Amino acid sequence: MNQSSELLTRLPNDIGGLPGQPVKKVDHVLEPWEKRCHALADVLDFHKIINTEEKRRGVEDLGSEIDSVESYYERWITAFTNILFQKGILTPEEFARKMDEVAARYANPA
Amino acid sequence: MEHSTAAHVHSPSEASSERPSYYEVMETAIQELLIQKQLIGAGEIRRQIEVLDSRTPALGAKVIARAWVDPEFRSRLLANGRTACEELGITFYDDTKLIVLENTPKVHNLIVCTLCSCYPRPVLGLPPDWYKLPPYRSRAVIEPRAVLAEFGTVIPDDVEIRVSDSTAAIRFLVLPVRPEGTENYSEEQLAALVTRDAMIGVVPATIDTARSRK
Repeated sequence: MNQSSELLTRLPNDIGGLPGQPVKKVDHVLEPWEKRCHALADVLDFHKIINTEEKRRGVEDLGSEIDSVESYYERWITAFTNILFQKGILTPEEFARKMDEVAARYANPA
Repeated sequence: MEHSTAAHVHSPSEASSERPSYYEVMETAIQELLIQKQLIGAGEIRRQIEVLDSRTPALGAKVIARAWVDPEFRSRLLANGRTACEELGITFYDDTKLIVLENTPKVHNLIVCTLCSCYPRPVLGLPPDWYKLPPYRSRAVIEPRAVLAEFGTVIPDDVEIRVSDSTAAIRFLVLPVRPEGTENYSEEQLAALVTRDAMIGVVPATIDTARSRK
């Protein structure tokens, strides 16, 4: 099998059975925003807006470059944003305005 | 995540004095837009955080200890993990099915999610980072004995190892072998021997674990 067909038959998340590094028993306490992001994922699933499998595919769709630099919950929130655009639930424009508004609020707390 | 997990560990004091990251702004923005559009309720995220905080491996340990002392409960647990957990008041906040895998002197079970990070969250809480990282996900299904050895667990060659790969809809929980020498333990004392890692299947339940609980 050549390199391109290998990419086709084994998508980025499909790593079961591949060789890998020794397991390092790492863990960390979630930051508040990470926990909010996790709760958001659950709430999106409850309302059938984005289910668990759509989330997983959304993360896979980010591609290997983003996958290699973003952390676990960074990938989740990026995937949610993309999926919400794809479903027409949010528009990139309203999202961009809201990002500016939230960033300005954090920078200049009332 | 393998590259950035460590880099994203901040102490609480650091986190609060820092400007929020781009992603933190993003999370707030998405949440607020969905609330404004009335697609989710204003208090739902906060309530779900409370649910998440209420889930720890102590719940799973309670289930395992009950299965060790009550053979009828054990049968019901193995027949339908979800309804048996619900008998003990553990609610499932998602649509997942729970399959409980019984370890015996001849079979050792191990759970993994090769594609991502599916895990029996209602009974164990959130998974540890190593469970979500590529080394465990890729290798558990092909060389489980080597992976178990990295956790200090050596399974004799005549014991079969079964690795179960979780999905969005189906989650697994390992029912460890009850340690020898616990015949006179109360249910509560037994529960104290059951660790998160024993319910993932990377270590056995032992009398020693009561002190070094993770």
